[in-house]
Amino acid sequence: MMVRQISILTKALLCNFLNLNVFRYTKDKKKKRNTISMALLWLMLIAMAFCYVGGITIGYIKLGMADVVPMYLVTVSALIILFFGMLKAGSIIFQKNSYEVLCSLPVSQTAIVVSRFLSMYVGNLLLSLVVMVPGMVVYAIFIHPGIAFYAFGILGTIFLPLFPMTVATLIGAFITAISTRMKHKSVVVALLSIIFVVAIMVSSLAMGNIEGDLTTEMLRNFSGILVSMIEKIYPPAVWLGTAMTEGKVLQLSLYLVVSIVVFLVMVILVANNFHKICQGLYSTSAKHNYQLTELKKTSALGSLYQKELKRYLVSSIYVINTIIGPIMMVWIAVGIAIVGVEKIEAIFPINIIGVVPFALAAVACIMTTTATSISMEGKEWWIIQSLPIKTKTVFDSKILLNLTLIAPFYVIAEIISILVLQPSLIELCWLILLPIIFIVFACVFGITINIRFPMMKWENETVVVKQSAAAMIGGLGGSLVILLCAVPVIFVDGFLGELVKMGITILILVITLLLYTQNNKVNLSTIE
Amino acid sequence: MLRIQNLTKHYKGSNKGVTKLNLEIKAGDIYGFIGHNGAGKTTTIKCITGIHGFDEGEILVDGMSVKTDTFACKQKMAYIPDNPDLYEYMTGIQYLNFIADIFGVVAKEREEKIQKYADAFEITASLGDLISSYSHGMKQKLAIISALVHDPKLLILDEPFVGLDPKASVVLKDIMHQICAKGGAIFFSTHVLDVAEKLCNKVAIIKDGELITSGEMDKIVDEGTSLESIFMEVVNDGKAD
Repeated sequence: MMVRQISILTKALLCNFLNLNVFRYTKDKKKKRNTISMALLWLMLIAMAFCYVGGITIGYIKLGMADVVPMYLVTVSALIILFFGMLKAGSIIFQKNSYEVLCSLPVSQTAIVVSRFLSMYVGNLLLSLVVMVPGMVVYAIFIHPGIAFYAFGILGTIFLPLFPMTVATLIGAFITAISTRMKHKSVVVALLSIIFVVAIMVSSLAMGNIEGDLTTEMLRNFSGILVSMIEKIYPPAVWLGTAMTEGKVLQLSLYLVVSIVVFLVMVILVANNFHKICQGLYSTSAKHNYQLTELKKTSALGSLYQKELKRYLVSSIYVINTIIGPIMMVWIAVGIAIVGVEKIEAIFPINIIGVVPFALAAVACIMTTTATSISMEGKEWWIIQSLPIKTKTVFDSKILLNLTLIAPFYVIAEIISILVLQPSLIELCWLILLPIIFIVFACVFGITINIRFPMMKWENETVVVKQSAAAMIGGLGGSLVILLCAVPVIFVDGFLGELVKMGITILILVITLLLYTQNNKVNLSTIE
Repeated sequence: MLRIQNLTKHYKGSNKGVTKLNLEIKAGDIYGFIGHNGAGKTTTIKCITGIHGFDEGEILVDGMSVKTDTFACKQKMAYIPDNPDLYEYMTGIQYLNFIADIFGVVAKEREEKIQKYADAFEITASLGDLISSYSHGMKQKLAIISALVHDPKLLILDEPFVGLDPKASVVLKDIMHQICAKGGAIFFSTHVLDVAEKLCNKVAIIKDGELITSGEMDKIVDEGTSLESIFMEVVNDGKAD
């Protein structure tokens, strides 16, 4: 009975995985086209990941560190699952929308919890396959390992997501537990999540530093150092890696037992406390003591802006996804200040002052809020559609929100950059102006993409913020354009360099204006 | 007040929609719009309110085209959907203030309207709470108040009585009469035929996207019959007598 329930629930959760159900049953050609574009985009990203992982694996093998490859692949997979899982585990496991419906049905809470973990597992398994498959294929081509490598590798990959998923869920639950008691839940969740993400980034940077600093040590025993490092970060990776390369059954058993036991303990814990956690999360308090006081009149744009800000702050996943970029902008400025311009120029023989404005803008726009701001309206979009508001006012409020978010980080990053780089007057102008122009461009571009790829029907906002076509194209596209603009600046210096920058600035301004004008001509009733 | 001429709207890849619909709602009318599920009622309403575009025909509000004078048309009307999906992250009063801002209602006037209607629907005490804590009925009441805050001349409602308690239903009916008495008009869809029969002076019946019959309630529902029997007859036969 329980297995049947789990199977039915998991099927229901997975039936719309990657929008497959919509693609299968929709008669709307536009929706079909969007799903196909999305699938192509995913395939492109997967192909890029394959090339990247394959290349790194070849590098390790050429350096004579073939033995480290499997455990390195396992560690990378685990870190990716941890990184993404931490941000979305809570919203998947404790999803609100179907909770109330399921509670009214004769379904056990264990079945609900297990089915949700299984649906999350499928996504994570695909993530680990993207890393493990190209790495293992390259390894097999170069090393010609025995049958144990394939058998243990396949078995290990199947169980790979369990341990990082458990850790991700625990961190997610910890963040949720703390924030539940706070007034501004989503902001606290976002803040704690960002702290964890930064911690992961710093630890991975530390890993890189050890490699860089111990050059002489590396020459003697590089593999040994890497193994001990991975052992500290993620011991199961060493167990599976050793099992794959040396055919050790004991190590494989240890890996499997630990993964399965840890995962099961967590599933049982969550299942036993599922209702309690959900009630804690979703119960709302109502004071029921309001008395009407003086109301203030605001302009339509001001009121829409306030609405946008409220919408933004209520979604922790939206905040996390879009605030990382601006934080990284400050991070870059601080990084330059710590390392020093001379050291950087010694490693990369380029004009740092010329490149910094592009770098600041590119990271600030890694994920714009505008790229998903229309989709985030979801089922409440009818309100805007039915009200007497001009399209321009609606989109302006969304762009304004994005600019407000980036503004404080921009000011800090600029002050640090100016103090560190000590630019000439012309360089100062570029340093201040270029990021502003590019940031405005990326915000307008985000709206353009979201108009083309809206996703108004969704159950979980994580899908909109992280997996929608608009989030990927609009969010990353802006940064990509900025980076492409930076390429000629790297190679051209002096007067010609200034002319190139001028040309790029005019081009981007014209494109921004064109996109802005086109966006504002859109009839909001056509976005559905 | 509202004229629908040859309205045709079909969804991509679907046979559903509305075909060559003609209706005229005059000032003072309370116009009921009835039909089975999927008949095209909500599609028609969404075309009127500018939520959906349409393929052919024309919709005029107070003589202005919804297609070309969208902004001016929306200023004159208000819409209440069948499922009040409101901004759950706002409090009730924030939502009402937001709507009043969009319509440019002056502060004093909005305070009076909100006080009047919130008291009538008995949700004044809850206006400081988040909408996410509201029941379906409370959301419906809030949507109704938000629609009334700018004094619309044309009120478009989709299944307005679903989720309302009996007292709120009576309050809403009174408000509908008041709007009509002031020269406004009401156009609403409903499945509750008894309510339509008692409340409306005109009615239209739609089936599979096509208008089956429309006109004065007294002329459509003869003595000794009911709207329910007429409805069953026309949707089964596909034609009114």
